[in-house]
Amino acid sequence: MFLGKKAEPYYSLKRNSGKGYNMKRVKQNLPSLPIIAYFSVLVGIPLLLVAVLSFLSRDSLGNIIFEFSLDNYKKMLDPVYLRVFLNSFSLAIFTGLITLLIGYPVAYFTASLERKMRSFVILLIMLPFWISSLLRTYGWTILLGNDGLINNILLFFNVIDKPLNMMYKFGTVLTGTAYMLIPFMIISIYNSVDKLDRSLLEASYDLGGGKWKTFFNITLPLTMPGIARGFTLVFIPALGLYFISDLLGGGNTMFIGNLINNMATRGRNRPLASAFAIGMILLVILVLYIYGRVAKNNKESLYQ
Amino acid sequence: MKQKRFRTFYLSLFFIILYVPVLSVVLYSFNKSSSTAYWAGFTLDWYRELFNDRIILEAFKVSIEVALLTSVLSAIIGTASAIISIYVTKSTEKTINGLMFLPLIVPEVALGVSLLIFFSSLKLPFGTFTLVISHSLFCVPYVYIMVQLRLKEINISIIEAAKDLGATRWQIIKTIILPLVMPSTLTASLLALAMSLDDVIISTYMAGPTTTTLPVHIFSMMRVGVTPKVNALCTLFLVGTFLLIGINQIIGKKGGNIFEN
Repeated sequence: MFLGKKAEPYYSLKRNSGKGYNMKRVKQNLPSLPIIAYFSVLVGIPLLLVAVLSFLSRDSLGNIIFEFSLDNYKKMLDPVYLRVFLNSFSLAIFTGLITLLIGYPVAYFTASLERKMRSFVILLIMLPFWISSLLRTYGWTILLGNDGLINNILLFFNVIDKPLNMMYKFGTVLTGTAYMLIPFMIISIYNSVDKLDRSLLEASYDLGGGKWKTFFNITLPLTMPGIARGFTLVFIPALGLYFISDLLGGGNTMFIGNLINNMATRGRNRPLASAFAIGMILLVILVLYIYGRVAKNNKESLYQ
Repeated sequence: MKQKRFRTFYLSLFFIILYVPVLSVVLYSFNKSSSTAYWAGFTLDWYRELFNDRIILEAFKVSIEVALLTSVLSAIIGTASAIISIYVTKSTEKTINGLMFLPLIVPEVALGVSLLIFFSSLKLPFGTFTLVISHSLFCVPYVYIMVQLRLKEINISIIEAAKDLGATRWQIIKTIILPLVMPSTLTASLLALAMSLDDVIISTYMAGPTTTTLPVHIFSMMRVGVTPKVNALCTLFLVGTFLLIGINQIIGKKGGNIFEN
């Protein structure tokens, strides 16, 4: 009754669009002060502290030495650490690609289901968000372990005669990360596919475009915003989910997340951890910049 | 026809892979043997052991306490922010949006470490307080987004009618806006509850020496080795999650449910 989707939104009611700093504007914006303060103090200042700390160093006891140096950043260029960056970068890229390849058909097929079935399938896709991420990671150790479920089944049917070694590899971490993040990809693509104007597809068929031709010339370009958004939403967390690489990778491959965590806790080298955190944030900014370029014409924000 | 069959096949296969890891955790929580190598028969021993584990019960208490406080705090801040955002100027609204966006795009490890450095330089004791504050940072934005979506649907004519009848801004907020956004606030606060209960990374840095949350404790258990006690604990967590979703389905009928946002 009070909610009309088509009604003019309340949003257009308010504002006084006059420029300049008059009292009226200050008064109008005053209520927002506590929120702005809350987030500036609790997110802004900590991030600034990290930036400052990344230029300092520490003594052998872990105490901070207040002296400007670029040592931490020089250390980051060390091949050992560059390797860590490369590992994380490729993990995030591959996670994006795998979730895209597996998730695209899921989103596409879901959009083509009848209404009732569709909302059920969407529920199935979203449900994992509500299941503990540790549990979902742990599930893979039960499946992939040397005496895990998959090895047991294969041994039982005599497909193999000794257990396959599937744990603690790059691929294991990749599997776990992609598994964790695939719902983001599917939902992003689904939103794009769902908005697709089906008459365009029919027009293409009528003009003699085959199934694949129509897909590559129409469906894919039109769902590009969803793909870009999904890729970004998957890429960013894939850089930092260190508990997955810890549990499934066993520390065999080092990723930035693990490194930052080790440095900040056991390593007691917060300045170096800070420098890596800054490096990681810069990588995220780069990805967001690319996303901004790709999705220029797309008005939706990343988190709608 | 052929395409439809392929569609059913693909989706079924996908959902099997999506849920098998979860179900296998549940299955092995009932296994008598402590190894996953074989099935030794059905048992509830691991659950019994769980309830005798003081550290786990303690961590559980902390988790629940933190999650409830986070959920209430985030609901209040998020809803207030969303309502305030419609009254301020456009540029201020953009500033709020940008700040809310920040905790969502900074990877959790980086945010966690930055909060660790921040709170330890303030010499604040780590524990429930730091946990709730840090969890609110990634929960408030979701409440904000969900309430804002709802606000956008409010029909302008009822606000104008109230204004014409002489209602003050505060009266409009109290009697019209708040009741209309309440279902979204409730749904979002359940989401906040679930996210707080699930958080591992930020909690690792924010937990105090005596106050760890359950996920942080579970993570340290998992690192040491696989025991069905972990499975039992995870299964109970899962049951709790489904209860939350059930509650949401009941109260959320009006405001759309969590899966729609």
